[in-house]
Amino acid sequence: MTPIHTVTDDELLANFMERIEAGEKIEADDWMPEEYRVTLIKLISMHGISEIMGALPEKEWVPRAPSLSRKLGIMSKVQDEMGHGQLLLRVTEDLLLPYGKNRGDLMQDLFKGDLKFHNVFHMETKTWADAGIIGWLVDGAAIITQTNMLKASYGPYARALQRICAEEVFHAQHGESIIMALAEGTDEQKAMIQEALNRWWESLLMFFGPASKETTGSSKQDLTIKYKIRTKTNEDFRQIFFDKYIPRILALGLTIPDPTIRFDEESRLWTYQQPDWEEFKKIIKNKGPRSQARLNLRKTSYEYNAWVRDALSATVT
Amino acid sequence: MAGEKTFYQEYEVFSKRTQNSAFQHQFSLLAPNEDMALIMAQENFMRREPVADIWIVNRRDVRKMDREEKKTLARLDNKEYRLTKGYGYLKKKWRHYEQQVLDEKEILSWGGDRK
Repeated sequence: MTPIHTVTDDELLANFMERIEAGEKIEADDWMPEEYRVTLIKLISMHGISEIMGALPEKEWVPRAPSLSRKLGIMSKVQDEMGHGQLLLRVTEDLLLPYGKNRGDLMQDLFKGDLKFHNVFHMETKTWADAGIIGWLVDGAAIITQTNMLKASYGPYARALQRICAEEVFHAQHGESIIMALAEGTDEQKAMIQEALNRWWESLLMFFGPASKETTGSSKQDLTIKYKIRTKTNEDFRQIFFDKYIPRILALGLTIPDPTIRFDEESRLWTYQQPDWEEFKKIIKNKGPRSQARLNLRKTSYEYNAWVRDALSATVT
Repeated sequence: MAGEKTFYQEYEVFSKRTQNSAFQHQFSLLAPNEDMALIMAQENFMRREPVADIWIVNRRDVRKMDREEKKTLARLDNKEYRLTKGYGYLKKKWRHYEQQVLDEKEILSWGGDRK
């Protein structure tokens, strides 16, 4: 066929936006504007690497889990998180193709500090109740953001999230089960959850990111909404989190460590004490309480296991 | 990084839940060879769901359609003669002859026991 008309970038972009508006899925080989590709790479590589970095604070609890069944439960969750990392890195790699970058490069970006991992995974876990709070509320928060992207315009990400969210349901209930046992336990166990909640409350608020880009100078939320990767803002997510979890936290006899928090009937919104966003800025620069320790752990493991990659690459003919 | 550029290969993973179900595409993964890909497929995608069989296919062996080719898949809405929809009037006809139409549900039930 003789091309009678050379398609311009503007036309490609218009056609691309039309497809997105019509709810069509964009696939890895399709034409996409650079801004869309870069937004996806940043979002999904960070999501993927966070699954892997997030498994680190949890795996610390495998040897210390209080019973064999708890050990098996948390072990399978850690394995799931690594699996989610694999899926998401795979999606990222296909997007990185035009730049000639691969998984090894992503790992180096992480070590250099160019690729961030989620702010919630820079924090310390002190007791078994922290493991419960992570499973219950951190995973709960993650489910709120991830389910919002199940219909993302980028097909491979939406399909990865379908698999991930199905397993997150197990994770949420796994966390609930740990918390429920403690909540129905001794006074000491009840105190443990309250302490863990106090410790994690600010991190749970930070989880969703600042409401606007004014806080940190940049935010992906506008672009991800523009390209129909997600539909809600950071603040929308935080409000949903309050709706879902505050009644449950209170029902277990726990106290929200924010005396000012209240639901405003008129606006149908929760008002609450803002977390320390200056601290947030430090955390996302890898200067949180456990940032360097977790990065070092990942780095050591990557270097220590290099021989496996070397051995396997030697068999490629 | 140069060595690693060629180390991993991309594999597409297919599996079926039961012996009777059709193979379904699951996802892709990276592995250095087929045997590792098969192990990874189980670890990555079949930790819970029942599975009766797994295929892995090196992505370079998959002939994909490009965007232009996909456009040829659009159907014109004029194929009623290929569908039972195009023969829907028979129900009324048979009623005239005091017989029931042998519809899809009826015909596909013939493999079972005689009623």
